[in-house]
Amino acid sequence: MPRSKGIALTWLRTFLVIILLASAGAVLPNSVQAQDTRYFVAYSHHMEEPGNLEIEFDTNYATQKGGNDFIAPWVEFEYGATAWWTTEFYLDSQATFNDSTLFTGFRWENRFRPLMREHWINPVLYVEYENTSGADKTLKEVVGFDNQFDFTDPNSELRKEHDHELETKLILSSDYKGWNISENFIGEKNLGHEPWEFGYAIGVSRPLRLAVTPERCNFCRENFVVGAEMYGGLGTAKSLTLSGTSHYFAPLIAWELPNGVSLTVSPGFGLNDEAHRFLLRWGLSYEISGFGRKVRKLFQ
Amino acid sequence: MRKTPVGFLIPALLFVASLAAVVAGAAADKNEETDSRGVLMAIAKAPAKARDWKNPYEGNAEALLAGKKLYVQHCAECHGENARGMRNAVNLRAPDVQNATPGELVWFLRNGNLFHGMPSWSGLPEQRRWQVVTYLKSLR
Repeated sequence: MPRSKGIALTWLRTFLVIILLASAGAVLPNSVQAQDTRYFVAYSHHMEEPGNLEIEFDTNYATQKGGNDFIAPWVEFEYGATAWWTTEFYLDSQATFNDSTLFTGFRWENRFRPLMREHWINPVLYVEYENTSGADKTLKEVVGFDNQFDFTDPNSELRKEHDHELETKLILSSDYKGWNISENFIGEKNLGHEPWEFGYAIGVSRPLRLAVTPERCNFCRENFVVGAEMYGGLGTAKSLTLSGTSHYFAPLIAWELPNGVSLTVSPGFGLNDEAHRFLLRWGLSYEISGFGRKVRKLFQ
Repeated sequence: MRKTPVGFLIPALLFVASLAAVVAGAAADKNEETDSRGVLMAIAKAPAKARDWKNPYEGNAEALLAGKKLYVQHCAECHGENARGMRNAVNLRAPDVQNATPGELVWFLRNGNLFHGMPSWSGLPEQRRWQVVTYLKSLR
């Protein structure tokens, strides 16, 4: 398949999925509005409601110095196993301009709330297994000495690298007067004898209006959340440092419709030479309430 | 090519964990208190100062309607459109719930009862939690 046709197909698929999800949100019953914070990289202590399934389609577009720009779409299935345990499965892909389009692997994450009450700072423990190729460009986190030059090789070379990685996070999150403030400390270990790599992510967000109006509305301020994220690498266990790795700042805006559909857009800016100069992330999600109960009913 | 132990272990682990998620979900359903006494016990854990918190929206008709809208969006799936309870979720019109002070209810909404299936609604701004409580108190 010609490369330009592959890229066009990826854009078309992206567009079709967005249309499908938006249509689903309009016609499907039993949708609810989630209370998740809409960060792309950082996590807060807000878990998926028990039994609910959130399907999310996200994309990361990035400019590439010394190589071809790319878009990296991924799909998330987030399920609230209990009120204190959320599990999530990801399928990653990417398309590099003037190169190729490929599936890059899967990730499976679990988040646990160890404390059953709300506190000033709420910890969440995060464990993720990643089975991805070196061509994965979703940039869901930055760790170690990750930098934009990791992606300059063609996909045919990058895909030869196969990564089995264990990623852990300590998520600390607080809510204060409508603001959510989240700090994540990331530790990632390639299971193939690589050293631990570290990273960080910080997120701040707030709804534009704290109280809601009685009327059902789509464009009112209460449905919009604004915020920002900052994330980057912290080196490895042998060399903890802020230099030689990439750092980003990314404002974000989310539009949460009453029918359970959410749209989030976040332009990101590289803060140093190691970072991609510009990222654009966007995501569309749909929340299905009572999913677990409906599945269990099938087996009763 | 020889498959590494990781290659075998991870799919097996994924399968076991998926089963665990379903079992945990079912167990959480069973663990939920099916009568309002369980909720009363959870609400009774509210600190003394929370009992005296005043609802800033008390008597506000607009807040009551806004609370109803929030109730439909976030609570009706489990507690029912009429708030009389469904499956394992309690009847919010029951005296045990209605006799709780607005402060106790807003504290309970913020903290939830995670081990028994009631999520924490701390992701909702405080103003919205008070609006929900305004609506719940109107169900007496």
